Amino acid sequence: MSMPGQAGSSDAGYQRKIKIKSGAIMAVCILLTLVCLVPIYILIVNSTHTHTALSENPSRFFFGGALGSNLNTLLNKLPADAGKALTRVARQYSGTFAIGKGYLNSLIIAGCTTGLTVFFSAMTAYGIVVYDFKLKSAAYTFIIGVMMIPVQVSSAGFVRFMYSLGLINNFIPLIIPAIAAPAVIFYMHSYMKSSFPLAIVEAARIDGCSEFRTFITISIPMMKPAIAVQAIFAFVANWNNYYTQNMILKNDNMKTIPIMVSNVLAFDKNVDYGVNYLCITLSILPIVIVYFALSKYIVGGVALGGVKE
Amino acid sequence: MASAAQSRIKSISYAKYGYMFIAPFFLVYCFFQIWPLIYTFILSFKGNQSNNAAWVGIDNYTTILFGQGSAAGAMATHEEFVKALGNTFVLWFGNFIPQILLSLLLAVWFTDAKLKLPGKGFFKVVMYMPNIITAASVAALYVNLFGDSKYYFVNATLMNMGMAEPIKFVTDPTISKVMVMFIQTWLWFGNTMIMLMSGILGIAPDLYEAADIDGANSTQQFFNITLPLLQPIMVYTLVTSMIGGLQMFDLPYLYHQGANFSKELETVAVYIYYNFNKGTVDQANYGYAGAASIIIFAITAILGSITFYTNRDKDEIAKKKQRKRAEKQQKAKAKQGGGLSI
Amino acid sequence: MSKLTRTLALLASIAVVSTAFVACGGGTESTTSTPAANNTASTADNAAEGGDASTAEGGDASTAEGGDASTAEEGGNASTAGGEISLPDTDDTLTIVCWTDSDLANMFDIYTPVNGATPVFQKCGGNGGEASTEYANYLNSGDDVDLFVAEAGWILNYINDDAFSAPLESLGISTADYADAYQYTVEIGTDNNGVLKGASWQAAAGGWAYNTDLAKEYLGVESPEDMQAKVADWDSFAATAQELHDATNGDVYMTASLGGLWQAFSTAKNAAWVSGTTINTDVAKEFTEMAKTYVDNGYVDPSVEQWGTEWQNYGKDKKALGYFFSTWCLGEGAQLEQNCGSEGNWALVNGPQEYFWGGSWLCVSPNCNTATEAANFVRTFTCNADTMEEYALYSGDFANNKVAMDKIVADASNSNPLLGGQDQFAVLADVAAGIKMSDSITKYDQSLKDAFLNALLTAMKSDPSTDADTIISNFTNDAIASNSDLNA
Repeated sequence: MSMPGQAGSSDAGYQRKIKIKSGAIMAVCILLTLVCLVPIYILIVNSTHTHTALSENPSRFFFGGALGSNLNTLLNKLPADAGKALTRVARQYSGTFAIGKGYLNSLIIAGCTTGLTVFFSAMTAYGIVVYDFKLKSAAYTFIIGVMMIPVQVSSAGFVRFMYSLGLINNFIPLIIPAIAAPAVIFYMHSYMKSSFPLAIVEAARIDGCSEFRTFITISIPMMKPAIAVQAIFAFVANWNNYYTQNMILKNDNMKTIPIMVSNVLAFDKNVDYGVNYLCITLSILPIVIVYFALSKYIVGGVALGGVKE
Repeated sequence: MASAAQSRIKSISYAKYGYMFIAPFFLVYCFFQIWPLIYTFILSFKGNQSNNAAWVGIDNYTTILFGQGSAAGAMATHEEFVKALGNTFVLWFGNFIPQILLSLLLAVWFTDAKLKLPGKGFFKVVMYMPNIITAASVAALYVNLFGDSKYYFVNATLMNMGMAEPIKFVTDPTISKVMVMFIQTWLWFGNTMIMLMSGILGIAPDLYEAADIDGANSTQQFFNITLPLLQPIMVYTLVTSMIGGLQMFDLPYLYHQGANFSKELETVAVYIYYNFNKGTVDQANYGYAGAASIIIFAITAILGSITFYTNRDKDEIAKKKQRKRAEKQQKAKAKQGGGLSI
Repeated sequence: MSKLTRTLALLASIAVVSTAFVACGGGTESTTSTPAANNTASTADNAAEGGDASTAEGGDASTAEGGDASTAEEGGNASTAGGEISLPDTDDTLTIVCWTDSDLANMFDIYTPVNGATPVFQKCGGNGGEASTEYANYLNSGDDVDLFVAEAGWILNYINDDAFSAPLESLGISTADYADAYQYTVEIGTDNNGVLKGASWQAAAGGWAYNTDLAKEYLGVESPEDMQAKVADWDSFAATAQELHDATNGDVYMTASLGGLWQAFSTAKNAAWVSGTTINTDVAKEFTEMAKTYVDNGYVDPSVEQWGTEWQNYGKDKKALGYFFSTWCLGEGAQLEQNCGSEGNWALVNGPQEYFWGGSWLCVSPNCNTATEAANFVRTFTCNADTMEEYALYSGDFANNKVAMDKIVADASNSNPLLGGQDQFAVLADVAAGIKMSDSITKYDQSLKDAFLNALLTAMKSDPSTDADTIISNFTNDAIASNSDLNA
């Protein structure tokens, strides 16, 4: 702690102090980076070893050569002489962790929900910002009031209700509710308030543009930045959603990646470590790749309107 | 000057469009959220297991809250719920404190222009990364790395280095809780850090400049400028994290070995899920699940409002009032002045 | 900053709106929504009550007719004959729901070449226990299901509810078709009203498999007969465990897991978990005492989870002398091979007590729409002695047909290379015949067993000196906390 007066006089000392401090902080940051990345690295390393190798020595730090054979087991493409034990393992994993189906189902759900969420949230926000009507402020108060109600509190009723409607094993209860996303509406609302000129709506009306068309052709393009940020977060949240999907989807053909991973975790018999790790790797791979590709927007977007789960 | 079109438009009422635009939200919300919530509320007044059709009044609530109910296991049910509530709080608290401290530290470092930190962008990207990974996969990953015996990575590594007995990372009541806290922190510190950074960057730079001129060191600046001005966003983080903590499910539910979830990690969300997801209606406890849900709902609402009222920015409110008064006065003046708008 | 204040403003309104919510919920609950809720609840109720009533009548009636008809026609074990099939035949694919296909795959291997059609395995649940909760939603979803597999621990939940299961009669199969079956499988497959709803392909008799090399080295045991003599009852089992412990300085455990020990100990007692609505803890208590002794003396490692990784590796790593294995663990590719390798240096004996492990039943879904194929499948693996013999030889599983199993033992046609050529069926034939469990199973079994083992293992892992009463009261507390029907 340098005295105020000394700060200017001993400039070299101050510089050195900053350097030392920066160095120490760098060390902490590098350590945290390792904490973030090492589990992922070990995960990938372990998915390249066979079950036998991992049972003999689970402490593996370097890549092995069994990625192909693990992948074959997972895809149930075993060589003819594989033996019954491995066949069992392969059947069990390929049936539960049907990777193609899982990606497709997750993509369908995350894609549809994202589309519905951003479109209808923009629409609702637009309705509240642009029009004057009696229940306007009541509607807005309601939306921000319900924003943080946890899904868990209504899930018992939700699952019983869906059960009685025959909507178990159906994507509808997972996709349609995405239309109602209070947090996203809240964000879109503040965005529009701050950067959407209402005069443009007037102008469109004069040109004879219908209200809905105005929304689609003028407002949506203007809200692109907000929509992009929210779309990314909605996609990630829905891709990762385990709780709701697990309540609704019981048929293997409809299961999504998080459910498949939890099912793999539930195996009590015929477990194969290498394939286990491979399943986990494959389950996080797409989202990690997308993340690093879009990291600029995602990290930038967190502060703007990332919503905690 | 008004054109014919303009006056025509002015005469049309657009209110109906407002309703049309917000209708989808309300329809869907009522159907998929409000009704299930009401239904849950109704279920909380009905019986459990083979008694599921009967109307039992507040029996489920007295059972869960006080251990006084018609079932023989009322006290045990109460104890389990209280334990779940305790676990929820412990797990939340144990991940929130390190998370907020770590995030605050990092946020201050990353926004300090005087420090020479190369690769800030890279660090931010990496530290945020755990947050986007599927929680189910994270649980699976940690169970597979930190398994209880020497057949799992961490224990095997430690034992290769000379440790005698494997550490029970997954089944030990205390260690497993610490693990879940650690994983939660691992998942969320990047997110919190970025939130706090944006808060710090929102603080006017001239405040720091003035402090520099006055000779305040960085510690003083942190406690006298950053922390007080960061209060609103800290409150926001606290509340969202708390409400998120009450919903903590994926990780505590999946972090276990063997067939069943770990009772030591049973959170309220797990309690609810376990009670309504027990097979046929005759086996499930919809009553307990419903009552627990409604209790959590009430707690969420109370926590949210308490935190808000104790922490709200009093200056801001006073300023707002002042501003409003000024506006009114101005309006009144304007009227007197012959309707000239400003 | 203004964004922040706005953010905070919404928090205030959470409270406001949510209070309104509760109030609103309270209001509607007593007026508008009550009928709807009552409807749903009462339908469920009707399904339970009304269902019972109708099966009582209709079920009995049809057993009388159909049963007579089929015995008259059939008279033997021909798989073609049978009663009338009342379920529809509108689909070509036979879909069987189960949590695993390890048994089903063996059946398909036998079934497909003969019948042409490959049934479809539809997975539901990650393991047997999970399936017990997942099935309810799956079977209700309207997705295709013709047959489903249920375990003894929870089968009663499903066969006693007509919304989930149809009588085997509707496939033209009656109790009379199971004259050669092990009787307990028929009794368990029969619901509260005497309607046959489940048929098992296996009689899951269990034995104790041990490592012959270790036995020779430390116990001087040369043959399975000598080994059996050393583990003939629980006292000698414990004495041998002590001998082994002394000989190896505690490096080798007598048996791999408490879970296996529990299975052998408890099922032989044939005591029900629940009498009336009271949990019966006698066997659990007896076992707790025994388990404590075993753990204290180092006969078994309490941290080993049944089926878990350590459990698997203890065989190969020579950390355990033996495993309690059911028949379905003994086939090629099953647990015996996975845990112990395929060198053939293991052997099977009856062990201290005759017991059985699990067993699975094929049940018919009321939505079955591939009735002929389903009937054929059920007959092939639960009635027909020829195909069941083939299945037993192919899979190593103990088929649920006395004629078939007696024939295999008499012909000495089975030799298991994993057991050094031993015939596991010869060892287990008497055990299968002696299994009684029909009086003792309840629909709470799965959940009570889980709760007990959880209480026991938690105590044994953290503090083995916990006294038995504490463990038992932990168990009963846990059990009645989640089962409001029961009391301790």
